[in-house]
Amino acid sequence: MKHDKPVIKVDNLRKVYGNRVVLDDVSFSIPAGHVVGIIGPNGSGKTTLANILLGFDTDFHGTVRVDESLRIAYIPQFAETDKYSLPLSVYEFIRSTANKFYGLRNDASIDTVVQTLAHVGINEQKLHQDIYSLSGGERQRVAIARALLNDPNIMVLDEPLASVDYASRQDLYRLLHHLNRTHGITLVLISHDMDSVLSISDSVLYLYNGAVREYRPSDFASEVRTPTCFKIVCRL
Amino acid sequence: MITDIFTLTFVQYAFLAGTVTAVLTGLLGPMVVSSRQSVASDMFAHIALAGVGMAAVFGFLPLVGAFAVLIFGAVLLWWVVVREKYATDALSMVFLSGGLAIALAFIHTARNQAVSFDTYLFGSILTVTSTELKMMILLAIGVITTLAVFWYPMLSVVQSPPYRVPYSSKPQLMQLLFFILVALTVLVELKTIGGLLIGALLVIPVLIARNFAATFKSLTVLSVIFGIACMHIGLLVAWFVDIPPSSVIILVLIIALAVSNFVKRVFPNIR
Repeated sequence: MKHDKPVIKVDNLRKVYGNRVVLDDVSFSIPAGHVVGIIGPNGSGKTTLANILLGFDTDFHGTVRVDESLRIAYIPQFAETDKYSLPLSVYEFIRSTANKFYGLRNDASIDTVVQTLAHVGINEQKLHQDIYSLSGGERQRVAIARALLNDPNIMVLDEPLASVDYASRQDLYRLLHHLNRTHGITLVLISHDMDSVLSISDSVLYLYNGAVREYRPSDFASEVRTPTCFKIVCRL
Repeated sequence: MITDIFTLTFVQYAFLAGTVTAVLTGLLGPMVVSSRQSVASDMFAHIALAGVGMAAVFGFLPLVGAFAVLIFGAVLLWWVVVREKYATDALSMVFLSGGLAIALAFIHTARNQAVSFDTYLFGSILTVTSTELKMMILLAIGVITTLAVFWYPMLSVVQSPPYRVPYSSKPQLMQLLFFILVALTVLVELKTIGGLLIGALLVIPVLIARNFAATFKSLTVLSVIFGIACMHIGLLVAWFVDIPPSSVIILVLIIALAVSNFVKRVFPNIR
């Protein structure tokens, strides 16, 4: 379900914090139905770019066009542990956004919630468990289920694999692949960990020193990663 | 006989007002703690005192003055918070001190008026009038109805970090509604527990309930139950030991918190 029509188009984007230029003359587009990885080292401006794409930050120069008819789901990074958190069941977490106020025709019933959780591989028995008692991978799945209930066309995931252990990664890759291929959801995966998103992305936007370069994942491995590794080896 | 005291009208009013207060704080406390806005509740209490002072100077009902300033404060705080320029706790401290400074100025100006500020600083549950009680019950019905209708959407904005929807201001509107509900709860508490002690009633029942709850709903129900229990015990004790009720109520809550932590340590799997 890939189309060339862009769902997000960015032209000459420039963002400045005080004297620091975070994004400088950035242009790219994200085509419908694609899986796009936005990667770059910490402090490269990924979060700034994401905030602008999602409409959370409107203080920038340039143009960002997002198709208004589309529903965008944003899945932020889950805190790995939060010892001060109060109990919140999986059902409560999901219902907090899957309701009429946030645009559902009807509030999500228990059956719908259970079905959606099953779809992402979460057992019904977890429904009334505290969400903070789940593993990182399970929490990410629950967050995806919650987003799915609002029927999105685009899903933006911030560090989707940050707190997911290695064994659960493959399952999560399969789920993301399924959402993209079967449901036609455009995926934007933001990560500082290049390896985590490279294998499932159709294209990669690499942020470095305020600029963005677009790569095919296979080219990225040879053009960007090898020289970086080489530099590290030289320094050693 | 202990039951004899319940034949007195002002005692009946005190227990009713205490119950209304405990129900409201029990319902909203978990949301206040979850959103890390505990300082904000105290901030509302302090700006409410500015409203009481204003009412004394301009000659209208203290709770009406507090109501007007609280709603204005809730909208102003929300307007600054959603701009994400300052941390909420730092911002609350600005409002808290600012509210108290304005209150002090008004109190000084109105020093010849017949308004007792101690009533609103430390509460005066035994002097709650029938009009005030009716006002509290009406406010409580409004807050409870709004919570019942918007329970789940409100849960989304009291998490840390709060839920955000791309290209939509709905979560921010829900946050405004949350601030207004906290402001109204503070208004109910102002006369019963007092502006300087309000935070404890919102926070401590939640910390007690947290030891035994597995879901947010059970946490809220338990906060209401613990809040009412401590309120009633505090009122009864205050009657016999001649200490201000608000002081005893807070002390009972602190003792209950210590006991609940002990129980949790002995029976760690209790839920």
